[in-house]
Amino acid sequence: MFAYVVRRILATIPVMAVVALFVFSLLYIAPGDPAAVIAGDQATPEDVERIRASLGLDRPYLVRFGAWVWDIMRGDLGVSIFTNLPVSTMIQQRIEPTLSLMVVTLLLAVSVAVPLGVLAAWKVGTWVDNAVMSFAVLAFSVPVFVVGYLLAYIFALELDWLPVQGYTAFSQGFWPWLENLILPAIALGSVYIALIARITRATMLEVLQQDYIRTARAKGAGQRSILFLHALKNAAVPIVTVIGIGIALLIGGAVVTESVFAIPGLGRLTVDAILRRDYPVIQGVVLLFSFVYVLVNLAIDLLYTLFDPRIRY
Amino acid sequence: MDRRSLLAGGMALGATAALPRVATAQPARNRILRFVPQANLTSLDPIWTTAYITRNHGLMVFDTLYGTGRDFQPYPQMAEGHVFEQDNKVCTITLRAGLRFHDGEPVRAIDCVASLQRWMRRSPMGQKLATVLDELAALDDRRLRFTLKQPFPLLLSALGSVNTPIPFIMPERLARTDPFQQVREAIGSGPYRFKADEFNSGSLVVYEKFAQYSPTPVGTRSLTAGPKVANFDRVEWLIITDAATAASALQTGEIDWYEQPTPEYRQLFARSRQIKVEAIDPLPNGAVLRFNHLHPPFNDKRMRQAILPAVSQEDHLIAIVGTDRAMYQAPTGVFTPGTPLATQAGLEPLTGPRSVDRARALLREAGYTNQPMRLIGPTDILAPAALTQVGADMFRRLGMNMDLVVTDWGTVVQRRASREPLERGGWSVFYTAFGSYDFLDPAGHFPIRGNGANAWFGWPTIPRLEELRDAWFTAPNLDAQKRIAEDIQRTVMDELPYVPLGSYLSMTAMRTDLVDRVAGPAMFWGIRRG
Repeated sequence: MFAYVVRRILATIPVMAVVALFVFSLLYIAPGDPAAVIAGDQATPEDVERIRASLGLDRPYLVRFGAWVWDIMRGDLGVSIFTNLPVSTMIQQRIEPTLSLMVVTLLLAVSVAVPLGVLAAWKVGTWVDNAVMSFAVLAFSVPVFVVGYLLAYIFALELDWLPVQGYTAFSQGFWPWLENLILPAIALGSVYIALIARITRATMLEVLQQDYIRTARAKGAGQRSILFLHALKNAAVPIVTVIGIGIALLIGGAVVTESVFAIPGLGRLTVDAILRRDYPVIQGVVLLFSFVYVLVNLAIDLLYTLFDPRIRY
Repeated sequence: MDRRSLLAGGMALGATAALPRVATAQPARNRILRFVPQANLTSLDPIWTTAYITRNHGLMVFDTLYGTGRDFQPYPQMAEGHVFEQDNKVCTITLRAGLRFHDGEPVRAIDCVASLQRWMRRSPMGQKLATVLDELAALDDRRLRFTLKQPFPLLLSALGSVNTPIPFIMPERLARTDPFQQVREAIGSGPYRFKADEFNSGSLVVYEKFAQYSPTPVGTRSLTAGPKVANFDRVEWLIITDAATAASALQTGEIDWYEQPTPEYRQLFARSRQIKVEAIDPLPNGAVLRFNHLHPPFNDKRMRQAILPAVSQEDHLIAIVGTDRAMYQAPTGVFTPGTPLATQAGLEPLTGPRSVDRARALLREAGYTNQPMRLIGPTDILAPAALTQVGADMFRRLGMNMDLVVTDWGTVVQRRASREPLERGGWSVFYTAFGSYDFLDPAGHFPIRGNGANAWFGWPTIPRLEELRDAWFTAPNLDAQKRIAEDIQRTVMDELPYVPLGSYLSMTAMRTDLVDRVAGPAMFWGIRRG
């Protein structure tokens, strides 16, 4: 097991190298010029050229790529072209809101979706099942930003229960932190809830047909015990896989959600950086997201052994 | 107690039992102003970039030797006074006593000299001043002297210019930075101090009232002239990129001032008794259709002239601000309406009934035989995006063989810098808009330059425009300046380096308890809670 974990961690190095090459090349060939954005509408072409040279953007591809990789290997993600701040500092400033949003969304989604999926499987074919599946279809179909605007309109603007926008650091208190995250987490979590609920239902339906469930029933096990101890644990592997895959969904969704609710997270940072062509920031954030995704997948793989002891690495 | 407080109280009671809330001393609400600016503040150096958001940041943090009043005359700000000598070829300016930078250091004449030298490298007005400057020197801590090769009547106006980049004064150690490199600190001597420790680009910018700031005792407050009295202890710029979110935050009172709401929200706000909507500046912005003069079809003057009968300034302006006639002005020429140089001279081709048929016929007469043309434009900035759509429709109706390329603004600014022909990614036409102060006079008015390869994107070569611009700098009085401005406009309407597309007001929305705002760019002195 230990050897497997070490192997997997080492395997992230070539993965990250490919990501780095891909991201750098993509940005290199993409249209857009940060020097022109900086110089402004009134700048002369000469001004733009001088700014481009001062930023080192006139150097050849290989020189720029080599310098960037060398810096990364020394733990330096570079400096933002626009703010002059180290990319690592900017990520540090933004990581808490995004992490908070993802954790709250994840907790909300799992705690709502899994019981809903189990309930739908248990009451298959009834109005409960239909209601859960209808909700799932609806949640899949409505874009995150529409859900966000609707929630903000109802709960912030009309009812005045929760703030429209912003983020308060956890260090400022639990409620101020949570109150800013409730609406974004519901908006972002809606698709995620639908996804997990559907997978839970489908997997549970399959497991509930198994012989050992019939045996448990024959032995007089209670419904709750059958559903949550016998069936759910055996249905956990696909559910955990979907939760893991859904992390990518969350990262993508966070970009939109953070814009709608003005949360100063990594998603907003990414969008702003892309619009300005702030290459070091884009590269740094994408590398970070890729690294997180690789680690999440590793964690999911390890969790399999917990739910299914037959799986060995 | 409102419902949110009640809910928060109830939840907090249970949820925070184990996590006691950190007590933070918050200044009273009426000492804080929460503002949503037009864009994110990315750069702190208002000389390095000409972005309006950085200019507005500069107005908070930095001060200038002179300010400009609503009458467009210069008034002393940091300066106590000045003396012209030797037939106006020597000007000595004395600083007010007791001026200090935010780091506690005194403001000295050498700081001003270094700041102005840096500014002169980047500002069109400054570059012109540099050509007639023999020497700029600090005589002592409070006096600096301009020695000129010839009189420069616009010297004080230049020092108080509101055109970007504004000649802000910063400490010598910062002002010695290469003008093409970004200054890393925002240390000025203006009414507000930048809180670097709370700066989170893309999210929050915080300014604190500078206790040691002493407003000029001279003049009345208007534009950048007169006493800059800060009435808030703290000003927070909240970067909210989503218009709907910013609008909701203004409605709920989470923010006090939303600098640039889009037209649909302006109508919504107009129905609220707690929100007022007004023109941020009585001077309107200018819309522009720019041609590429290097390649066919618009390298031919007759082709440029041919489309004029089809150009409707009103159509373009309505696309930006809606149908309310009070929101736009047409016909408008080269200079901002309501300013001394604005004139109607030579605007005949843009007035009277519009005719696409007439334009088509003129295009044929000019030799247009379905040559390709490319219109480039953005989707993510309101005014240029709206102008581009109207323009695309016009070129379609003209029957031109148009390739419409709409991208984000970041791509447009790169692509318009290309001098290549169409087959190698070049362009024929783009649309954009300028702030009112950019079109005050010929100094900072880029689209009227005719200096070929060194001109603004489009690179027209029109020597007559350069001659007129040079003449304007040395014009002895306003009447002479006005005559030159008329000539410039007539030449523009004949040569068409660009087509003026009219002027429109930029509106702002704020809570009704905010009063005494100084009209102009978003500025934070004078404004207070009533």
